[in-house]
Amino acid sequence: MRNKRPRSEAAARTCFWPIRLTSKLPDTMVHFTTEEKAAVASLWAKVNVEVVGSESLARLLIVYPWTQRLFDSFGNLYSESAIMGNPKVKAHGRKVLNSFGNATKHMDDLKGTFTDLSELHCDKLHVDPENFRLLGNMILIVLATHFSKEFTPQIQAAWQKLTNAVANALAHKYH
Amino acid sequence: MLSAQERAHIAQVWDLIAGHEALFGAELLRRLFTVYPSTKVYFRHLGDQPDEVQLLNHGQRMLQAVGVAVQYVDNLRAVLSPLADLHAQVLRVDPTNFPLVIQCFQVVLASHLQDEFTVEMQASWDKFLTGMAVVLTEKYR
Repeated sequence: MRNKRPRSEAAARTCFWPIRLTSKLPDTMVHFTTEEKAAVASLWAKVNVEVVGSESLARLLIVYPWTQRLFDSFGNLYSESAIMGNPKVKAHGRKVLNSFGNATKHMDDLKGTFTDLSELHCDKLHVDPENFRLLGNMILIVLATHFSKEFTPQIQAAWQKLTNAVANALAHKYH
Repeated sequence: MLSAQERAHIAQVWDLIAGHEALFGAELLRRLFTVYPSTKVYFRHLGDQPDEVQLLNHGQRMLQAVGVAVQYVDNLRAVLSPLADLHAQVLRVDPTNFPLVIQCFQVVLASHLQDEFTVEMQASWDKFLTGMAVVLTEKYR
């Protein structure tokens, strides 16, 4: 029995290749509730930036190997263990997560906070903003492995909102 | 498409879920609806505020389908054909929602398995679940 209703435009995107993890949000300021801010802060206080940062970036490079294109200068990325142990991956992961720490302190003005980094990632680094969304998702999965039951659906929601908002802020200055 | 190693990872994780499909499925749906509330539009039959029983029932159905896919991983198109028809003709879930379910699935696995949810496990399950999503949306047009 054939479906006669008009097809969703988005159904056109049923190709093999990675479907976008989140749709691009319109350019509006993201508002975090008091509860969401508390959820983010309570977990952040316990995060080991070195460990979570490096693991998140390593997972990105392994689970989505095409992201390695951005890290030609990082040396040995030829195996999973090489990536997990790569000192440049660890250092960069830590740097990225420190930047997230900064985000948690400026949740009311992420676009302003990330203006310079956004320009850098567009003009100098030429990074597809989709990578920011993917990395954000990796951070969440790593947080889940560390915090287990404590990573409740509500806390997951607050953090997913934050990582999406940071990704959008980083994409904001692209032209 | 899946290597022997990847199949082993998938089977290993499924061993932990098998028999507990309802619990894992309920948690998956709970996280999905909390983190991505727009997905609730596809579950109106569960009501505005689905209760635990509904989440367990529906979660079980979803995870049982995953179990079938695990068992017949070499023949997903054939084995998921009725579900593909359902999604194309009746449910018509926008394809952009499947990665959201996959993300929540990963978080469920990560929070239960913790250290044991290695990057190799994550990569295998991401690839496998994405493959399922492709098959489920393949008949959309």
